[in-house]
Amino acid sequence: MLRNFVRQRFFVVLVLLAVMLVFFTLTQERFLTPENMSAVMTSSSILWVASLGLTFVMLAGGFDLSIGSMLALCGIGLGWFVNEAGLPLFVAIIFTILLGAGLGALVNGVPIGKYGLSFLVVTLGSLILFRGLTNLWSGTKTQQVISPFLDELAFGSTLGVPNPIIVMVVTFLIMLYVQKYTFFGRDVYAVGGNAEAARLSGIRTSRTLIAVYGLSAGLAAVAAVLQDARIGAASPQVGDNLVFAAAAAVLLGGTSFSGGIGGVGGTVVGVLFLGVLQNGLSVGGVESYWQQIITGVILIAAIALDLVQRRRTERSKSLRTPAAQPAVPAS
Amino acid sequence: MSNALQAGGPALPVLQATGVMKSYGGVQALKGVDFSLFGGEVHALCGENGSGKSTMLKILSAQIAPDSGSLAMNGHSVAMKNPVDSLAAGIAMVTQERTLVNELSVGENVLLGPRKPRSVWGIDWRATRKKAREALDVLNCDADVDDLVQDLPPGQAQLVEIARAITDDTKVLILDEPTSSLSAHEVDSLFRAMRSLRNRGVATVFISHRTQEVFEISDRLTVLRDGRLVSTGVVADYSPTRLVSDMLGRELSAFVPPPEYQTAQGAVLTVEGMSVRGKFTDVSLGVGKGEIVGIAGLVGAGHSEVLETLFGLHQREAGRVLINGEQVALGDPPAAIKAGIGFVPGDRKIGGLVLDMSVLENAVMARTSTTARWARPRSASSVAFVEQCVEDFSIVTESLDTPVVRLSGGNQQKVLIAKWLGTNPSILLLDEPTRGVDVGAKAEIYRILLAQRDAGLSIVISSSEAPELLALCDRIIVMHAGRVAGMLHKHEADEAAIFRLAMGHE
Repeated sequence: MLRNFVRQRFFVVLVLLAVMLVFFTLTQERFLTPENMSAVMTSSSILWVASLGLTFVMLAGGFDLSIGSMLALCGIGLGWFVNEAGLPLFVAIIFTILLGAGLGALVNGVPIGKYGLSFLVVTLGSLILFRGLTNLWSGTKTQQVISPFLDELAFGSTLGVPNPIIVMVVTFLIMLYVQKYTFFGRDVYAVGGNAEAARLSGIRTSRTLIAVYGLSAGLAAVAAVLQDARIGAASPQVGDNLVFAAAAAVLLGGTSFSGGIGGVGGTVVGVLFLGVLQNGLSVGGVESYWQQIITGVILIAAIALDLVQRRRTERSKSLRTPAAQPAVPAS
Repeated sequence: MSNALQAGGPALPVLQATGVMKSYGGVQALKGVDFSLFGGEVHALCGENGSGKSTMLKILSAQIAPDSGSLAMNGHSVAMKNPVDSLAAGIAMVTQERTLVNELSVGENVLLGPRKPRSVWGIDWRATRKKAREALDVLNCDADVDDLVQDLPPGQAQLVEIARAITDDTKVLILDEPTSSLSAHEVDSLFRAMRSLRNRGVATVFISHRTQEVFEISDRLTVLRDGRLVSTGVVADYSPTRLVSDMLGRELSAFVPPPEYQTAQGAVLTVEGMSVRGKFTDVSLGVGKGEIVGIAGLVGAGHSEVLETLFGLHQREAGRVLINGEQVALGDPPAAIKAGIGFVPGDRKIGGLVLDMSVLENAVMARTSTTARWARPRSASSVAFVEQCVEDFSIVTESLDTPVVRLSGGNQQKVLIAKWLGTNPSILLLDEPTRGVDVGAKAEIYRILLAQRDAGLSIVISSSEAPELLALCDRIIVMHAGRVAGMLHKHEADEAAIFRLAMGHE
């Protein structure tokens, strides 16, 4: 059990996170306070939710560049549903999430899953497309979204727990369940691990991919609700750097670009790592570019370390079975 | 025939190998083989699958090092460590795998890399085109140097490969199964190119599985069997019968005419006149309940593709498939699974298993592929099924949750077979069911398949290993060059009969 946990690909990052927590606690008086820890969490909430969706895309062997634009588009959408359409907030949120999931499945999922287009090309296109739609819809203007419920969502708390943290934990638990305890979750691993074997097993891999891109966009829409709630407005300018931070969090969390390996458990470790690093450095008054430099170095180092470790296990495996290859040498 | 050598010939072979030994792990592929090649000859290297032919070619071109033995060129011993050394020594090799860059022009492919002529402005494209044209002319290849390689038919592409391999200094050309993917017409133009090189004094050694071709093009031939030299000599000393008996190591039995194809009575699976463009033509077969039918063939004969088509992986252009007398469409794998077909693909690492996933998940992947996707996968019935398989098939694994990548090849293959038995198929298709599996696991897989047959499962096995088919099958269909060459019943089938049909003997 413990050995398996140590073998997890995000273990190194988890240790670094612990080291960082100890270091900041010892060096910054104001670091380990309930207020500050809660701030670390709530300020990570948008990244957290969006990264969970991106994790599934990467598990399936793909990538979604468009999540930042989708966040902005759905944020504008929520503002429109509330202000212009005059929908009750609860209905507006449901519509926003459906809008995101539907667009993601249709614009990203269908070309990639059904017609086999390159995910980089398709999501690069939709990144630009969604940004354009956002500006068209909003007239490039930020509009206030006033709702007591949104205020409560961003800044209130339930039973002493800040509401954004509840949203984070609930989405994480749902995604963890889907990943581990549904056929859909296992299909995602199978498609990412060996798409041909999945297809030959009768799994409808195109549906799996469409669903994955819909899910990623749907979670970007959930993040958009949190975004609007935090700033009390629908802004077309948000989300520009979201995809980079999310990719860093997912990769730090041990999900591989090649698909089939990793999971949402690692991703939340990656998000917390980025959140603690940012908070600890800013509490300590360190310039924010140091955060970028450290994040970049650790991301590359963590992945290099993982590669070294895997090469080592591969080598020891090939030493164990020297005759495995040509049992019948081809003539 | 040969213009450089007859009785005696030139004193020194351009390339000579002496006492070459090579083993892979525990398998000895070459057990001390002598081989000599003279300038201006075309030399065929013949032998069954596993006789050591390819290993020999790889040693001659320094792709692999022999365990012992030596190479000499024109009487001087040479030590070549890698293909770069062997190229420098004038030995060119064209492998079975295509190595052209599809997106570049024919001319640039011929002179790929640093061989392109240069001027002060950089690459001299006019000279490049001219030089490529000359190289192609030597081979009587009329492909336009400005065309993209992806637009070439396979025969022309093959000639471009050869044009790239050879230079003015090439003394030896090595071709590994150059005709396996070519049509009859394309083989003719390849042979014209080989003759043209022969006239320029180049020595060519090649492998072919088609007897007819060996006799058409070669001056001399060498037969290997089980890693040993059986015979070598001028083609005139061989007859097709002697060649085949040298390859097999015994006399051929009297030729058995292929019996007329008949739909088996009460056939579970009936295939009528099935064709797939570019793969195989007019294939018919029937499989009864509790019967194992084998499909034999040499590499590229189309036997694997027949199975893949029955599982919905290729578009049929003609023919129909009936299961229990009812026509089925079989458009994609889910449709085939629904029709009661299971398919164990030839390469378990590509189409078979998701290596990073567990034994349990791989084993239930096919049987649960139609379940609602939001359902929980680890149901009690799934676990019970896999536990039963692990016990029945003696699959060695730490637990059901162990990733299959940690299992041995034989155990992986058993998981793959369990995966398909789990769908309760009425027909199980297996492509090379024991590839890369040790002897013990092989016997166990045979036992599993025979037990399933006795329980009423209809099984079709495609294999390039004749002994495997002989051990398992009630009937064997032999394919040659995309067509059914004949059918053998268990009592009349032996290795020689299969081999003869597979080689395309009339």
